[in-house]
Amino acid sequence: MLDGFEIITTSGIVLWRRHFTRLPASLINSLINDIIEERQKPAAAAPSAYTKDKHTLRYTTASDVGLIFVAVYQSLLHLSWVDNLLWAVKGLFIKRYGDQLKNPYATSLNTSTFDQAFDEVVRKLDTGSTQRRPSEPDSDNQVEFTPPSSSASATDDDPPPPPIPQFKKTQETTVDDTTSTDVTPVATPDTSRPSTPLNASHLLTGKGGPRQSRRARKAGNTQFATSAPASSGDEGPAKVTKKPGAKAKRRWDTDGSAIDADDDVVLDYSAADNGTGTQNGGFEEVNATEMGSRTGKGQFVLKDLDDEVDAILAEAKQKQQAAADTSGGDDAGLLGTATSKLTGLFRNVVGGKKLSKADLQQPMQQVRTLLLEKNIALEAADRLCAAVETDLLDQKTASFTSIDKTIRESMTKALTRILTPTSSTDLLREIANTTGGSKPRPYVISIVGVNGVGKSTNLSKIAYFLLQNKYRVLVVAADTFRSGAVEQLRVHVRNLTELSQRENVGSIELFEKGYGKDAAVVARDAVSYATNSAKGSGMLFDVVLIDTAGRRHNDARLMSSLTKFGQLANPDKIFMVGEALVGTDSVAQARNFAKEFVDTKGHLRNGGVGMDGFIISKCDTVGDMVGTLVSMVHATGIPVVFLGVGQHYGDLRGLNVDWAVRKLMK
Amino acid sequence: MANDSSALDQWLTWAFSPAISAIIVTLLISLSLPVLIHWYLYKKAVSTEVPSFVLVGPSGGGKTSLLTLFANGSTAETYTSQEPQAALCQLPSSTRSKEDKYRSEHDTSSRSQPKFHLVDNPGHGKLRHHATTSIMSRTSVRGLIFVVDSAGISSAAGLTEAAEYLHDILLWLQKRHTQGKTSKGPTSIPVLVAANKQDVFTSLPAGLVKTKLEEEIGRVRESKSKGFLDSGVGMEDDAGKDEEGDWLGEYASKGFRFAQMEEHGVDIQVLGGNVRGEGEEGGKVEEWWGWIGENL
Repeated sequence: MLDGFEIITTSGIVLWRRHFTRLPASLINSLINDIIEERQKPAAAAPSAYTKDKHTLRYTTASDVGLIFVAVYQSLLHLSWVDNLLWAVKGLFIKRYGDQLKNPYATSLNTSTFDQAFDEVVRKLDTGSTQRRPSEPDSDNQVEFTPPSSSASATDDDPPPPPIPQFKKTQETTVDDTTSTDVTPVATPDTSRPSTPLNASHLLTGKGGPRQSRRARKAGNTQFATSAPASSGDEGPAKVTKKPGAKAKRRWDTDGSAIDADDDVVLDYSAADNGTGTQNGGFEEVNATEMGSRTGKGQFVLKDLDDEVDAILAEAKQKQQAAADTSGGDDAGLLGTATSKLTGLFRNVVGGKKLSKADLQQPMQQVRTLLLEKNIALEAADRLCAAVETDLLDQKTASFTSIDKTIRESMTKALTRILTPTSSTDLLREIANTTGGSKPRPYVISIVGVNGVGKSTNLSKIAYFLLQNKYRVLVVAADTFRSGAVEQLRVHVRNLTELSQRENVGSIELFEKGYGKDAAVVARDAVSYATNSAKGSGMLFDVVLIDTAGRRHNDARLMSSLTKFGQLANPDKIFMVGEALVGTDSVAQARNFAKEFVDTKGHLRNGGVGMDGFIISKCDTVGDMVGTLVSMVHATGIPVVFLGVGQHYGDLRGLNVDWAVRKLMK
Repeated sequence: MANDSSALDQWLTWAFSPAISAIIVTLLISLSLPVLIHWYLYKKAVSTEVPSFVLVGPSGGGKTSLLTLFANGSTAETYTSQEPQAALCQLPSSTRSKEDKYRSEHDTSSRSQPKFHLVDNPGHGKLRHHATTSIMSRTSVRGLIFVVDSAGISSAAGLTEAAEYLHDILLWLQKRHTQGKTSKGPTSIPVLVAANKQDVFTSLPAGLVKTKLEEEIGRVRESKSKGFLDSGVGMEDDAGKDEEGDWLGEYASKGFRFAQMEEHGVDIQVLGGNVRGEGEEGGKVEEWWGWIGENL
């Protein structure tokens, strides 16, 4: 069964919620955090799933009104109807409260009447495809049987005997909507269980199938198609008596234009323009004749809701299909396109234009090209563009703002968001806390990377920085592979010793075991040497800097030794050095290195991301094209900590996000 | 069609003819237009001029709850925010605003309590840029409310996070003050550190929150000054940045005190309270209302 359903604004306020069991608040908070940190997609088009300790959260967003709809259930259950529930509730809620939500200062809604509507929607859509405990189905079905008045009137109309053949039939043709199948199992409780898998598969096939043709057909032959698209298919004879009344009721109850507009939208997706006119005419007619007589009965209100839900679901399906069909050219007349173009131009200057996918397409392409020119990997550029598109779709441009400018602003925000680290990257404070705490121990930093990116150079830059802050530094030559590596470090250490003595700051020493040894063991020995726990006279060094051998990221044999290294040396920080020059390959480099650092239990280090930071070297050589920063952060979610900006020991910088974004958007 | 064009012709002929009626109409239009435009523009400017207060602070401090309490009188359930949210609030009748300072207690003439906008900002590390945008985009920001979880501050990590964020905010305010282009300088923005969740058992009282934050900000300031330079410094030719500019408070002073910010036009107060009360009721927020009243 469903555990909970919540409607939350993007500003974090719960507008409406229903809990069936106790749920920890951390569930949804962690979902939102993952959306913010872009590990989860904001699911604007179709609901997507998120799993967190035994619960599955399916959610969908409505970006134009800033809402998130979340349904929570146990991961063990496979509730195939939850997607429909999300669609239906999203549609209903926005329809009812959309106007109030448009007010930018609204912080609360009176949603007390929504409880009943929600219950109805759940009762309608709950297909019994939940894998319940054995005791439950009986009682549940009883509940749905005993008050026949309260359940949807479609259930009453449905003739009980023929459900199975009908069901079969609809499956063959795969053109039926969900509701009719939802209704049939309820009417015949004994078949609900075996039908479960059928039902699920049916839902799946229904999504992709030839729905278009059916809609077209229906638009052609019946006037009631839009209001009750679902139930009209397989219950032809039974509904004749009641249908018109219900129809009229629905029009009357929600009163006018909102429904009207929605119907138009549905039709727009399915049929040509002339269809809408006749459809509307038919409605007016029914409306005028039958409106007055049926007002006071609760039954019809429920029916009304029923139809509304059907309409919403049908519309959602249409939309999905439209999205899949990559929107064929709209065949408005020559005059129509000309005027729309003119107003579009005008709107572009003045602002207040509602952005559609077509509007965004060309300027998005420009921005994408700009990003690619800045050396951002294709994958990362696409992701950024997708984020901007979901951010802007169906939004209105601000007054006197062109689409171009709006997109650039949104892209600036997206870049800032991706580059800003979640937590602070203040190295000095962490070192001070580790070495000066109640249980002092040396702070271990190790540096990894591909060959020739500047591992040793950046290591000595960090060493210089630490010396300036009066730390005692041990440099470990764990590159026991390449000839000359140890000697190179020795030169650096000699220079730094000279410098530190002259300035009378910290001290530095080299730890080496020659060539051919296992790097992991050398690193471990170095850490225990720095800790100096055996002699008990306190630490010899505050910081241990471990240099490792460069390795190609696609060489599995060399990469696998990193895992052992990570476990034996157990560094506080693992930094990966990447070149600013590298371009598209940076994504693969970052991914392959990050995935090697797992602990003994098989979890990635540092909360599931593997490493602690990137050092992007050679930034002075690329000018504006600092896209590698974005590519590497995109690939792993690991923040950029330092930038190498020159040849001297002092040429190491922290990352200023504004600076980087400015360069990228220039 | 022909009818239309002849009518237009006639009209145009009249408009350009030296008839007295045409002259009067022209005069009327040319004289009234500037007045109308002026009226239109000023009407617009005045209507947007609602003073606003900006809520900032680390995630989980209770900003959104505070917003709903102030706006609706009751707290709503909240989750992590992703977007800023503004709300129109009205000062409760129990709190006196600054303009009512000299009003007699027994003055029975109806007074309207002033309204203001309260702007909530997400506290998540990646979304903090919203805060500065919120302040910049509003013309009349009367104050900044830094909401901090006074129970979370007793842990080292919570304290560090709050202090670093507060440091950044204060430094931004200080730079805004010192780098003002005009001689008058931008209007000063007072800061309220709202020590929230005073009802929680492990929370620290407001005084202790203040000293803890001051100490920690001192440490943050220290390590920031020793740390790496930002990228961009020395790579481009903006040599205007000096070390003193990035130092919060009185330069080279030993410890940081909130009082040091006064010379930069930032008045800081630390007041305790709790947004959540028993059940549905709001908690103890009178002191914060008082602060808002003073600064309206």
